[in-house]
Amino acid sequence: MLVVHGAWVDRLLALWAEATGPLATTAGDEPSRHPFAASAAELAAAIGTSAAGAAQTELTIRLPGSPRGPLPSPESGLPAAARRPRLMTWRVPTVLLEPTAALTLLESLDAAPEDEASTDAAAPEWGPASSLRYLALVGDVARDLVRRGRILPQLSTGNGVPAACWAPVLTGSDAAEFRELAGAMPPVCRAVDGERAAGERAAADVLRDALAGLVDGAARRAMPDRLLAGHRAGPRHPLADRWLFALTADDPALPGAKPADVEALDGALRQWLASAYQLHGPVRVCFRLGEPAEDEDAWVVEFGLQPADEPAQYVPAARIWAGERLPGLPPRPDEVLLAGLGRAVRLCSDLYPALQQPQPTELAVDTAWAYTFLRHGAPLLRAAGYAVNLPTWSGLRGLGLRLTTRPAGARADELSLDDRVDVRLGLAIGEQAIGEAELTELAGLDVPLVRIGGQWVELDGRQLRSALKAIEERGTGQMTVREVIREVAAGGEDDLPLVDVVAGGLLGDLLSGDADRRLAPVPTPDTFHGTLRPYQERGLSWLSFLAGLGLGGILADDMGLGKTAQTLSLLLSERAGGRELPATLLLCPMSLVSNWQKEAARFGPSLRVYVHHGGTRKRDEELAAAVAEADLVITTYGTAARDVEALASVHWGRIVCDEAQAVKNSATRQARVVRAIPAQTRLALTGTPVENHLAELWSIMDFCNPGLLGTPTRFRERYREPIEKGRDEHAARALRRATGPFILRRLKTDKSIISDLPEKLEMKTWCSLTPEQAQLYEAVLNDMMGKIESSEGIERRGNVLATMTRLKQVCNHPAHLLKNGSRLGGRSGKLARLEELAQEIVEEGDKALVFTQYAEFGALLRPYLAAHLDRPVLWLHGGLPKARRDELVDRFQSDDEPMLFLLSLKAAGTGLNLTAANHVIHVDRWWNPAVEDQATDRAFRIGQRRTVQVRKFICVDTLEERIDDMIEQKKALAERVVGTGEDWITDLSTERLRELFRLGPGAVS
Amino acid sequence: MPIGPNGWFEARPPIRVEGGLRARSRRGPIGEQWWSRRFIDLLEDICDPGRLARGRTYARRGQVLDMEVAPGAVTARVQGSRPAPYRVSIRIEAYAEGDWADVERALAGQALYRAALLAGEMPPEILEVFDALGRPLFPSTLDMSCTCPDHGVPCKHLSAVLYLLAEAFDEDPFLVLAWRGRARADLLESLRGLADGEPVDPLHVPDVPLADRLDDFYSPAASLGRLRDLREQRVAEPAPPELLLRALQPPPVTVRHRPLVDVLRAAYRELPLS
Repeated sequence: MLVVHGAWVDRLLALWAEATGPLATTAGDEPSRHPFAASAAELAAAIGTSAAGAAQTELTIRLPGSPRGPLPSPESGLPAAARRPRLMTWRVPTVLLEPTAALTLLESLDAAPEDEASTDAAAPEWGPASSLRYLALVGDVARDLVRRGRILPQLSTGNGVPAACWAPVLTGSDAAEFRELAGAMPPVCRAVDGERAAGERAAADVLRDALAGLVDGAARRAMPDRLLAGHRAGPRHPLADRWLFALTADDPALPGAKPADVEALDGALRQWLASAYQLHGPVRVCFRLGEPAEDEDAWVVEFGLQPADEPAQYVPAARIWAGERLPGLPPRPDEVLLAGLGRAVRLCSDLYPALQQPQPTELAVDTAWAYTFLRHGAPLLRAAGYAVNLPTWSGLRGLGLRLTTRPAGARADELSLDDRVDVRLGLAIGEQAIGEAELTELAGLDVPLVRIGGQWVELDGRQLRSALKAIEERGTGQMTVREVIREVAAGGEDDLPLVDVVAGGLLGDLLSGDADRRLAPVPTPDTFHGTLRPYQERGLSWLSFLAGLGLGGILADDMGLGKTAQTLSLLLSERAGGRELPATLLLCPMSLVSNWQKEAARFGPSLRVYVHHGGTRKRDEELAAAVAEADLVITTYGTAARDVEALASVHWGRIVCDEAQAVKNSATRQARVVRAIPAQTRLALTGTPVENHLAELWSIMDFCNPGLLGTPTRFRERYREPIEKGRDEHAARALRRATGPFILRRLKTDKSIISDLPEKLEMKTWCSLTPEQAQLYEAVLNDMMGKIESSEGIERRGNVLATMTRLKQVCNHPAHLLKNGSRLGGRSGKLARLEELAQEIVEEGDKALVFTQYAEFGALLRPYLAAHLDRPVLWLHGGLPKARRDELVDRFQSDDEPMLFLLSLKAAGTGLNLTAANHVIHVDRWWNPAVEDQATDRAFRIGQRRTVQVRKFICVDTLEERIDDMIEQKKALAERVVGTGEDWITDLSTERLRELFRLGPGAVS
Repeated sequence: MPIGPNGWFEARPPIRVEGGLRARSRRGPIGEQWWSRRFIDLLEDICDPGRLARGRTYARRGQVLDMEVAPGAVTARVQGSRPAPYRVSIRIEAYAEGDWADVERALAGQALYRAALLAGEMPPEILEVFDALGRPLFPSTLDMSCTCPDHGVPCKHLSAVLYLLAEAFDEDPFLVLAWRGRARADLLESLRGLADGEPVDPLHVPDVPLADRLDDFYSPAASLGRLRDLREQRVAEPAPPELLLRALQPPPVTVRHRPLVDVLRAAYRELPLS
């Protein structure tokens, strides 16, 4: 396993790597050589295509360590040797990537691998260290700057030969982001310094270089091949012509240019760049649009200055011309004002009359002028760093469609998509309905800014015309329910959005977006073992209602609220009274298969479940037969992809996607596979707030109700761009209206939910073993059972305890037992589940305590989770001094960032107050419930205001599940019997032990 | 009671001092600057000019070993005739932090004061700012003490220190402010903070030395998740991609006889799609 680090050297991405396994090449004994760095060839092979043709060299780098070797990075998982590290210089083999190749590599870090098979098995496995992931973020910033046009072409003269390049313009919020990024830079990025001796570079310099390189790369990729048609500019052409050509050419260098030409061009371009930085100076020119008094047409634009960081401190131009000196203003504010006005005219030529006065303070304008300013001038000026104060109503009220429906028939208690309803289209401005006559009158006014009922409204001619046309064409009539739903989902047209929907009856309930509260509740089915909480019954009625209509839905309740139980109750409720229905196909990540199986058996023992997974899964007729006999078929996304043809030929009643994030990217193979399987209805389960990621929302909605939201392009234009770019409230509301009927999302913090929840929610999380874990488990068992059989007394006791320890280690992770520093990813069912849970927890903005009884396992988990979550993962264990522990506890309690706190059960089981956490996870079990409860109570104590979710990880069909069963039974008998830790197990007979430790067939999924 | 040649009580001549603080002798009288003039006026109210002149002579001989101006008190050690130097202190009221905040706000309110103070000058109008706030810059009385047996106030040790103090004020007007409780650096810094001082590089970021980051050498100072959060929260004003080309004075560069900006515009408009 290679842990790949990144640094930036001049214009190149420098990659070097730590090797955690045995080295392919001998590093030799030279003292200054990094002893466990991978060779450049090895590194290039691991990186693959983006490193093809890249230069391989050696760089010096400063790392903390001792003369024996540098400290390893946390990602490597290697033990740290030096106690008192100091900075020392090391030589590391390096691969240098050109900016374009660097961008490709950095982009690939974010993209999840499509599926397991796509990676080249022969190449060494590698993972990015924090420094490289940090540079990936810098790459995002660079691409974004290019996309927004925050770049200017320049002539670099640094390395002797002048060259054409693209430079970033970092002003305003981009400068703020630059400072944040530089401040957060991992020190290791500053410790590489190219050919020069390894030094200590300033973070800002490194970031400047990296951004410059990445922006240049991204701009070249974005620009057309030639900016100007025509022949290539040869050495005899004017320098500017050659330079322009080199801006997009493969070779940016301009050899042989005359120094005088270079100086002239460079000077002009530099001044251009410098003027971009003046736009966002510390003091801004401010424009204020004031609306006229009643019955007048006299608008006014006032000019003034305001400090960029203190917008409240507005100084009108009149006071500046009067020579008043004010705090926060530059020595010659009049010059700043004048220069700013001058620049503003370039963007908004309507302001020109202002410059014709000697000391402009304001400009009197009419309504038409004001409208153009609102529409075009103001946004442009704002974007260019001016302060623009507009009346509060601007941009808020526009003309929109209002749809009113009434059921055509008399049926009020039933609804089907083919029902016809009476429909009337009307118009509204903001919330206010407006008549056709009034509109016609307005259309005659020819002024796009009108006062209606004392309030100004922006209306443009195009909008007016399409409104009139829409009313004319389809003012009243009939539509099917299906058509109404489509109409609402489409959200009207670009220049005439649907702003209001009025509907009654069940259709109104559906469109209201809180159907779950309006619908008659569906009682918990008799066959459901357990009790549904009130909100879960509402969920069930919503699920039943949508399913009855043949519509798909997204159940997006917060984690822990019981999406599984609600889904199972739906299946049971549909089958009430012995009704036979086609099976439901459930797709989930591998790590959840056992959990679904267990939960189905617990809540709905009457459900016939078939797990379609693993090498022994059924095929062809056998599969068809198994499905025909089943109510619920559980499979993984990976298996579904492999068996897509067989699965697509089955007639499914429903497809459920659990962890629907898996289909959030419509282009991935998984998403395509899932769509290719036909079904009557579809249901997506997800705990992440889908409404915050609009591209993902489209994809998941399109899975549930194919085609309803239209094409991705149309969705982007109608909703995504206005919402993400313009923070358009109208579009956001329209999107909520369009998707609300199909999404049920309850937060655990909702008042009505909290009242339904106990203070502590205890759950068992069922995990499975990977084949590797199962093999190891068997091996340990064979070895140890022999020893137990042939020993007695104290020795036997010791052997029993050792067996349990080793088996539990295997259940945790093969690397935990083997202690060989091997890689962690993809080898343990528990780890996979922990990763997913942790991801969900931090995405919900929560904090979690993760307990393990093994310090060495915690030490393995910490770097792995930190790297995968990109959130702080604290680690408290017995080896830490008191002060350091207090520091960790303080940070966990006071920092508002979501994070994990890994704790060793022994070191942290008592005393600490960790109420900032509302999740507790016990990764492995201590067979004494009292000890676990004590640990759990770190979060669940005075000061905790939220429901605490407690999860205990149990590997199915291993000693973990059996001992859990015994504890449950004994608990039921008498609490005190199990009060003695693990000792009671050692007294069991060998036969009982064999039964207890056995690896059952259900362990591997 | 023996009287010395200069009319002072003197049991014995003072012990000679090498390396004491010497009054300057080259330049003429002090009080050329208005602020030191103000201080001298004050001193002349307190003790007669003759005494002050004699203090000067004493000071010129270097009998003042050291002098420190601290908020509220000037302290000095003066070598008299006894082996242990006498301790002199001259106290005035030091203003509280809140008072100084008022003063600084008032000073920052006028560019004139700011500019002068930042240039190392003390504009006379500054007194009005202090007076208006009921916190006069110069005291009207001094609370003086000396450990010498002389009962006359000021004794020659005090006079010598007062003389040196006036001289020090003459050279550095900010000492008056320091005596009142505000060190020069603090005052100027807050004046800069309240207004625009020197232009700040918007891309400047202070660096933590690598040696102080050995514990988390490989990790970002803020989690990457946090950096992404900040990035998502940032609201960029919607802007056309060719904004820079429009908003800036175009460079005088032509490519094949066309202005550079015209050549670039079409390509910039396509950038959002990249």
